[in-house]
Amino acid sequence: MTTVSTSAFYDRSNLDMAALRARANNLQAAISSGQRLGAGSDDPVAAARIRTLTRLDSFAEVDTAVAGRASADLMLADQTLSHFTGSLIRVKELAVQAANGILTAGQRAGIATELGQIGSELVRLANTRDSAGHALFGGNTAGAAYTLDASGNSVYAGTASASDLPLGDGQTVTRGLTGPEFLNFTGPSGATNLFALVKSLSDALAGAVPDPAQAARDALGTLDTALETITNQQTVIGARLNWIDLNIERQVQMSQQRSEEEAAVGGTDLSLTVSQLQQTMTVLEASQASFARLAGLSLFTLLR
Amino acid sequence: MSSDLLSIAASGVRAARAALDVSSQNIANAATEGYVRRTIRLSEMAGAGSYGRISDLSLSGVRVDGLTRNADSFRQAEARRTGSDARRAGVELQAYQNVEAALEQARLYPALTAFEASLQRLTTDPVNPSLRSAVLEDARTLARTFNIAAQGLDTIAAGLQFDATAGTAQVNLLAAQLARVNVQLVRTVPGTSDQVALLDQRDTLLKGLSDYVDVSASIAADQSVAVRIGGAAGPQLVSGSTATSLSMATAADGTLSFALGASPVTLAAGSLAAAAQGLVMVRDSHNQLDSVAAALIAAANTAQGGGVALDGSPGAPLFSGTTAATIGLALASGAGLATAPAGAPAGSRDPANLTALRGALASADITGQTNGLLFDVSSATRGRKLTSEALDAIAGAARLSLNRQAGVDLDEEAINLVRYQQAFQACGKAIQVAADLFDTLLAIR
Repeated sequence: MTTVSTSAFYDRSNLDMAALRARANNLQAAISSGQRLGAGSDDPVAAARIRTLTRLDSFAEVDTAVAGRASADLMLADQTLSHFTGSLIRVKELAVQAANGILTAGQRAGIATELGQIGSELVRLANTRDSAGHALFGGNTAGAAYTLDASGNSVYAGTASASDLPLGDGQTVTRGLTGPEFLNFTGPSGATNLFALVKSLSDALAGAVPDPAQAARDALGTLDTALETITNQQTVIGARLNWIDLNIERQVQMSQQRSEEEAAVGGTDLSLTVSQLQQTMTVLEASQASFARLAGLSLFTLLR
Repeated sequence: MSSDLLSIAASGVRAARAALDVSSQNIANAATEGYVRRTIRLSEMAGAGSYGRISDLSLSGVRVDGLTRNADSFRQAEARRTGSDARRAGVELQAYQNVEAALEQARLYPALTAFEASLQRLTTDPVNPSLRSAVLEDARTLARTFNIAAQGLDTIAAGLQFDATAGTAQVNLLAAQLARVNVQLVRTVPGTSDQVALLDQRDTLLKGLSDYVDVSASIAADQSVAVRIGGAAGPQLVSGSTATSLSMATAADGTLSFALGASPVTLAAGSLAAAAQGLVMVRDSHNQLDSVAAALIAAANTAQGGGVALDGSPGAPLFSGTTAATIGLALASGAGLATAPAGAPAGSRDPANLTALRGALASADITGQTNGLLFDVSSATRGRKLTSEALDAIAGAARLSLNRQAGVDLDEEAINLVRYQQAFQACGKAIQVAADLFDTLLAIR
């Protein structure tokens, strides 16, 4: 015969109902927090995965900010290069005028003055500052990109190359151009730069050479080379901007994938959890009701 | 014939009253912890026939033989053993959960990620003072996070040691009481309510002991109990009227060792064993945390030393200290961060050394180690949780099984009340019959 002692009955009912209550409590916590995992021990593998995903998320945020920054600086460089092109075209026009043999020396001196102005304008453009206030074309230097030496020549004072900015997942982009990259080129008489070219043309027209018209004609070909160099570098900038756009797009896609994975690994499946909670509550109510019925069954109430 | 109807009926009345007493005692103690249901043992009193009266009737009624205690020593031992195991698993799980919470809630991993992210942000403009300050503040947060985690672990260790000290005192108290009960048990008569009550007390004390240590009890013929701890071959805690004192020693690394008298004992179950195991786990986690902190300090300081600060001076150490508890921020200002390579001029925007610092942190795998530490702790906790749930279920089943057999069933007691009340009334009737018979004889004239 199996007898059920009174205390065993109460103990068992208590254990069963406590287990059901704990289960309902866990399900409720999962629903209200939206997280399936309360502590790492609920699912260690998923918790480790979520840690990694959250880490990647915060790095991606920085990567996006860095990409935005690099993009802004490169666009500024692009605009500045356009200004260079504009100025160069004006220099070319002036050179064409000066090449005409019928101009008087006075007229050529006027052209020389304008060229001198354009020359100093070009130096100011080359010393443009970026969004953080650093020299846009100076590489990693702390000061200005170009300085003037004692004889009025522009000298590059920056570093040899601009540093790379990380775009995430090992991808990088060079943050800008250094001055020599688009201002230095090879002319008919060896390596030179734009400032030297404009300055020598200006000096020639002011009367430093016996035949200024010939000097202006000679400069025309070199000016074309300079223009070509700048245009080439604008193409480089365009390619870098495209590369950044591509990376930003990739970041957005990766971030979507990560949030999907986070939701799949650690999120609560709401419909499933709610139905599980409903099921647990039904069982709990039923066992409470049956406990009340059974506990009310005492022989003492029937014996009179 | 030597029977006496009146005295037979009187013995029946006495027996029925005693049985009613036992039933109401059972009902009164239905919810008493450690109370084992008693049943009354009755036996017939009949005189043997004497010479020349062999076939004679010689009835003397009934007598109360004694009380039976419905305890099954196997089920009791089983309830003790499984209860002790479940208790160990429960306390151990608690320790593991505390360690997990201390490490997770210190938010070590997020702090590490934030530090690395702000280093990454600094690469966009290594000379920017606000970005440098952000790196410095994130480094400070990281150092404090290590401090908090280390403090949390120390607090857990202190709590476990305190519990173990209290538990050791409790074991000694229970053992002393058990020795006294042993002395009294030897002196009591079997079957009396005295002995039965002492047996209840003995078993309750044994159950109490099994909460703290793994008990193996052997019960002698005189019902006194000898208790060994740390397995069936372990040293004797209680033997007859003597109880040996259990002592606890704390090692320098916080772990516990126990000795009974002079002989060392290794506990396998109960909350003391759990505290000892929990402290080993706390120590291991602490060591792991320290090694992560040391790797971080070494990687960051070495990389700092390889570059120059904003003013062109050689890089000073970023962190001070050597362990998770002592790690602190050594740099006073963000300008001290050595982002530029050695030999670079003051104010250089060259991020080469910053890249080297990030590379050093990555190759020392600080994040991976932290993740591994968290994963180890949480998967160990997960394992302990499953074990604890299983042992709880087993212990619950053993307790229920003991309760079923030893506990009071109120319905059964109600039936017994009715049965013995009727027996009492029937014996009363027999007394009345005896009186009527006597009156009948007296009425003869």
